[in-house]
Amino acid sequence: MKFFIALLVMGILTQNFTLSKFLGICPFLGVSKKLNTALGMSAAVIFVMLIATAVTYPVNMLLINYDLEFLQTIVFILVIAALVQTVEIVLKKYVKSLYNSLGIYLPLITTNCAVLGVVILNIDNISIYSAYNYGFLHSMINSFAAGVGFMLAMVLFAGVRSRLETADVPRFLQGLPITLIAASIVSVSFLGFAGLVEGMGLM
Amino acid sequence: MKGKDIKEIIKTALSLFLICAVSAGLLAGINGITAPEIEKNNLLKADETRRTVFPEASSFELSSAPDGTAYYTAFKDTETTGYVFTTRAKGYGGEIEVMTGINTDGTISRVSILSINETPGLGMKAKNESFLGQYNGKSEKLSVIKNGSPSENEIDAITSATISSSAVTQAVNEALEMYNLIMSGQEE
Amino acid sequence: MAKVKYNYCKELTKGILKENPVLRLVLGTCPALATSTSVVNAIGMGIATTMVLICSNIVISALRKVIPSKARIPSYIVIIASFVTIVQMLIKAFVPALDESLGVFLPLIVVNCIILGRAEAFASKNPVLVSAVDGLGMGIGFTAALSCMGFVRELLGGGTLLSGTDTLLSAFVDLGSFRGLDFNTALESIGLSPMTIFILPAGGFFVFGILMAVVNKISEKKGLKRAVLSGCEGCPLASGCSKLKEDDAQ
Repeated sequence: MKFFIALLVMGILTQNFTLSKFLGICPFLGVSKKLNTALGMSAAVIFVMLIATAVTYPVNMLLINYDLEFLQTIVFILVIAALVQTVEIVLKKYVKSLYNSLGIYLPLITTNCAVLGVVILNIDNISIYSAYNYGFLHSMINSFAAGVGFMLAMVLFAGVRSRLETADVPRFLQGLPITLIAASIVSVSFLGFAGLVEGMGLM
Repeated sequence: MKGKDIKEIIKTALSLFLICAVSAGLLAGINGITAPEIEKNNLLKADETRRTVFPEASSFELSSAPDGTAYYTAFKDTETTGYVFTTRAKGYGGEIEVMTGINTDGTISRVSILSINETPGLGMKAKNESFLGQYNGKSEKLSVIKNGSPSENEIDAITSATISSSAVTQAVNEALEMYNLIMSGQEE
Repeated sequence: MAKVKYNYCKELTKGILKENPVLRLVLGTCPALATSTSVVNAIGMGIATTMVLICSNIVISALRKVIPSKARIPSYIVIIASFVTIVQMLIKAFVPALDESLGVFLPLIVVNCIILGRAEAFASKNPVLVSAVDGLGMGIGFTAALSCMGFVRELLGGGTLLSGTDTLLSAFVDLGSFRGLDFNTALESIGLSPMTIFILPAGGFFVFGILMAVVNKISEKKGLKRAVLSGCEGCPLASGCSKLKEDDAQ
């Protein structure tokens, strides 16, 4: 139980996926202009991350069983791409309301490196040689934490950006440069969480 | 019209299948060439890291402690020169894996870090010789101090990285314990 | 049919300057930020990406008339993923130190927008040779941008330059005892220490931001548009983006 909480705290705060692992920077910079879109995008990411982890876990078992580990990258990206398509079709047909709020973000997610990233990191940690030796539940919780961490970063950054819109920025920093510098400061603030897991006695 | 649709579906599926098959075949071939090389690298690396804690050793042999944990015995020619233990402790950014070499007289030969994921420039300094060198020659249970000059069984922590320093020390202590366990087992 | 003449030189240099994937098109930001902690890491990542880019451009261009349009994107993904795996295996076998320092970002080359973007925008429409040149140019541009960031971050954040060169190159050339430059002892003697923050993620964002500002300034002088965050325009999968734009406009 302790380890589960530690995983959550690490994924969301101390080792935030976006701000300290640099996964999912494209949507972090691209779709964080408005709070609504930021929320919708990150909800879709959490959703896909969880499904992708649940599906790739048994697929990986299968690959290891037949000594085909070298096909991991290719199989995982195809599984994710197929999954995203299927989810989109299913949502469109049966859960119209959810499709309207999440659907438009789904095609963007296939090439979101955070999704493939979390899947690969989980699989790396499943190996018996790894220090953590994840099981299925660990992987799911780690993915969930990664997704929530992404959402937190997106939402915080959307707030910062809405302030930036009205700020008087020197001309040469306008646009992307000031956005990146703002991201840098948000990332500094997350450094403050370092040591939280150990401090809470979770590890 | 209908027949044309089916024809197109078959054509699409077939070309995708062909691309996948060719890719998989190619990868299998290259895997066949690189896999032994990767395996060799891993073994070489493992032996080389063991040599960092026992530079004068000529070979290593896998042994297992009474409680089942594995360790390596270092040989210089045919004579046993010491033991190599791999232990782990939780640091700041995850687990730190430490390899400790202990001479036959119970003193530490050298300590080296196998894997570490601490803050660059702070906890990562645990890899530096200026920190790890402190362990050489110690034989008793060690503790970490933050400032002041360390006495016999104390280790001077890295500035602003006490957690990382303690983790390494904890792992080394565990290795010392394992050594004592093995020694007491041999005497009986 | 009239033969189109390609200006190979122009195709090569456009990727380095005018259409630099990182600094002008703002693509591949994840690996750019994550692997630019040192010059050697940046160059390693750059070379790995360039290899994948050239190979996938060549194959996709060669197969451009064979692949049915409906199976286009999945085919491209399979081809790119295969080359990424090949490069990954080769690096693991011959430059294991690089594999360790790039970590998860090595397999993540698959989802680097630059590669799928070039496949869709260029290789699927142009012949083999010019596609290869395009891939090479884009790859060099990517490597150059990463190396710039790596240079600043390593120097300011770690007080070293080109450290780890031996691990990257020892498999190919004999460097003698060259281990990169280390200014730490010199800095310490005058009572200074490197600014660690530049190696941390926050420093990555900061250096990237300043570099963008400089590039924008130069572009404006040359009469080019400033780089705007196209974000996902580069990736062909991002059909949803246009919908997002509409959403923004409202």
